[in-house]
Amino acid sequence: MKINKIIVAAALLGCTSSPALSDYPERPIELTIPAGAGGGTDTSARKLALLLEEKLGTSIAVLNVGGGGGSVGASQFMQAKPDGYALFATWNSPLTTVPQVQNVAYTLDSFTPIASTSETAYTLCVHPEFPAETGEEFLAELAANPDKYTYGNDGIGGTMQLAAERIFQARDIKAVAIPFGGAGETLQNFLGKHVDIYGGSISPVLPYVEEKQAKCLVVTSAADVPALPQAAGLESLGLGDKETLLWRAILGPKGLDQAIVDKLAAVIDEAVNDPSYVEFLASKGEVPNVVKGEALGERLREEFDALAVVSKNLGLAK
Amino acid sequence: MDFLLNATSAVMATGPLVAMLGATLLGVLIGALPGLNPVMAIALLLPLTYSMDPLVALAMVAGIYNGSMYGGAIPAILLRIPGTPASIATTFDGFPMAEKGEAAKALKIACWSSAVGGIASALALMTVGPLLARATLHFGPAEYFWIAMFGMASVGVMVGSDPVKGVMAAVLGLLLGTVGIDQLSGQARYTFDQPWLLGGLDLVVVLVGLYALPPVLQLAEKCDLKGLSAAQLRLASVPFRKGEVKGLLPTWGRSSLIGIFVGILPGAGGNIAAFLSYNAAKNASSEPESFGKGNPQGVAAAECGNNADNAASMIPALTLGIPGNVVAALVLSALMIHGLQPGPQLFHQNPVLVGGFMIEMLLTSVLILLVGGAAATRIFAQIQRLPGVLLVPSILVLMCVGVYVINGRPVDLWVMLAAGTAGYLLEKLNVPLAPIILGMILGPMAEQSVRRALLISRGDPVELLTRPISAVLAVATVAMILWPVMKAIKRRRAKNMSENNA
Repeated sequence: MKINKIIVAAALLGCTSSPALSDYPERPIELTIPAGAGGGTDTSARKLALLLEEKLGTSIAVLNVGGGGGSVGASQFMQAKPDGYALFATWNSPLTTVPQVQNVAYTLDSFTPIASTSETAYTLCVHPEFPAETGEEFLAELAANPDKYTYGNDGIGGTMQLAAERIFQARDIKAVAIPFGGAGETLQNFLGKHVDIYGGSISPVLPYVEEKQAKCLVVTSAADVPALPQAAGLESLGLGDKETLLWRAILGPKGLDQAIVDKLAAVIDEAVNDPSYVEFLASKGEVPNVVKGEALGERLREEFDALAVVSKNLGLAK
Repeated sequence: MDFLLNATSAVMATGPLVAMLGATLLGVLIGALPGLNPVMAIALLLPLTYSMDPLVALAMVAGIYNGSMYGGAIPAILLRIPGTPASIATTFDGFPMAEKGEAAKALKIACWSSAVGGIASALALMTVGPLLARATLHFGPAEYFWIAMFGMASVGVMVGSDPVKGVMAAVLGLLLGTVGIDQLSGQARYTFDQPWLLGGLDLVVVLVGLYALPPVLQLAEKCDLKGLSAAQLRLASVPFRKGEVKGLLPTWGRSSLIGIFVGILPGAGGNIAAFLSYNAAKNASSEPESFGKGNPQGVAAAECGNNADNAASMIPALTLGIPGNVVAALVLSALMIHGLQPGPQLFHQNPVLVGGFMIEMLLTSVLILLVGGAAATRIFAQIQRLPGVLLVPSILVLMCVGVYVINGRPVDLWVMLAAGTAGYLLEKLNVPLAPIILGMILGPMAEQSVRRALLISRGDPVELLTRPISAVLAVATVAMILWPVMKAIKRRRAKNMSENNA
């Protein structure tokens, strides 16, 4: 009798833990994207989901929850069950930038970092007639004319604005930030000459650089970006420690089992480095970048702390 | 134009043709169901198309997009429930026509007007697209502000008999539009610490509640146990009478132009196009008081305007790489997944694919005539034969499903219920509902644009008027407000004169 009970108990325990892991995943996974359909994060995540479906042998249902710069989707996702069947594909801003300016219900501890997938720099571009040809000249022109130039960005307190302001603060530059709804809107206003400087991700502006309607003079990564030969990386401007990137990652809810994290991280690593995905990333000016588990958590914390300083200096912090 | 020949032969293959036909039918269905909308359908469908031939995938996008813009008119006319946000203006005259027993005629006009608008828009996309796209770049924040103001000035024609109530409704809409994170300061407004309110109230959720629930409750009030008999339905094909098409031509021409203009401006949408077209038709009419009481011109203007927005909204996306609305963003994302780089060179990278998509937008507009006219209208109109006791719960279930799948959160159902209850009470109080939605759409657009414009001008309001386009738009806005007033004064004077003479 007693032994029976133990066996039953053991069997029950077994049901809830170990077989679940060895069989994982045994049903469809729901992938929450904290942005509307059709944007950069959405496209990257959907393309990656196709590869993950193949490698995991299960289907992945994508749920777009836009709004609040990603905080709406993140708040909704943090309540998901940590069973490995709810995953979160996001870019860095909802986790490291948005909490600086908004009162959000989540912290970095509300999530289990699994793996980052890709990254790209932001860029600052001007019209061809702008009186500067290099990154150094560009910053000098801005520094010499405080509040003369306007720069469009992806939204107030967004990562793009903070990335630019980190550089501007280091060089004592004052430029007028004009927040738009996204890189597309910024680009439209830049091409129509309603703002002087385009601030945003590289891929939308790239065709206009090739057509010589825009010259990109600064990228927010430490290293130069091959697609934008005229743009200076921050290292060459002596601002290497001010690097701010746009990067994407997949996370789980808080308390996700380490075995599932490891399994998913390994599969994501494989999928991201699949030649078809690398090629897709390249067409958007992104490169694969896989940082797994605890190391990813560390990266998030460091970025959070650095951006906290910038937003405080800007008077944006809540 | 060589590319069009090549593209045509590529489109005239079995795959794209079947996809266009099927997707147009599906689109009509999606448009006809309140809550379900083309954006959602295309977002759900696109991942399935990643492994397909891109021309087949784009054929499905074109079919759903064009089909649903017409489909929205079906419940708008039959039940006064707009199937999509863009078909609100269709209810104004469509439902009164149905009440007069002219449902079949209203559906026919909606179908033809949708097709005409879609065809005009697709032709614009093929011919003057790149030119128009360059022109839109001159529209900065100041110009967008005036476009929003122009739209708001058109509230005047839809306030109904009591202007004060109409203005109150518009102000309520403006207030609802302020909920959420303010894009320019990052401050949360009216969110009461509720995370789901940070993104603002979902327009479609509020719309479904506000517009679909009151008519459903009214149906329930009638306690109708029988429904219409087949004989009462009178769906036999009504041929256009002699001169009828000729009478609609000016409205079609005007609405197509308005729809195309609104379409190429990123950020404005089919709903604004439909409102402005309706408004223009009413202002141009010799008998404006017949609008809202079942004037076929009203249906034609609204339906033509919202379909003319479609292909035109692809112009900035395909020629500049700037998506003007979510559907355009989805199309761009599909092209990227197929390895194309959106931007000015998109066309040179793959003229057959881009040209093919343009032709598909054209063909699916023509297909509306076939699908809508011959099949869908008659089939869907059969729902009028359902007794209210069956119809009411069925529509309620569809509404709930439609609203839930938008963001996948139960709280939206409560928002819908609250909006619906408010809508029901407001209707009882004779408060028009259209200005509420218009305020919700145009309020944020006007506010953000004017604040951006003032940031750029360093706080100088004069710059809102000194640029040529914004000056023209400002004058047009003032004229829009004064026009009905002048007309009324003129009419009163004429009346006085005739009385004096007599």
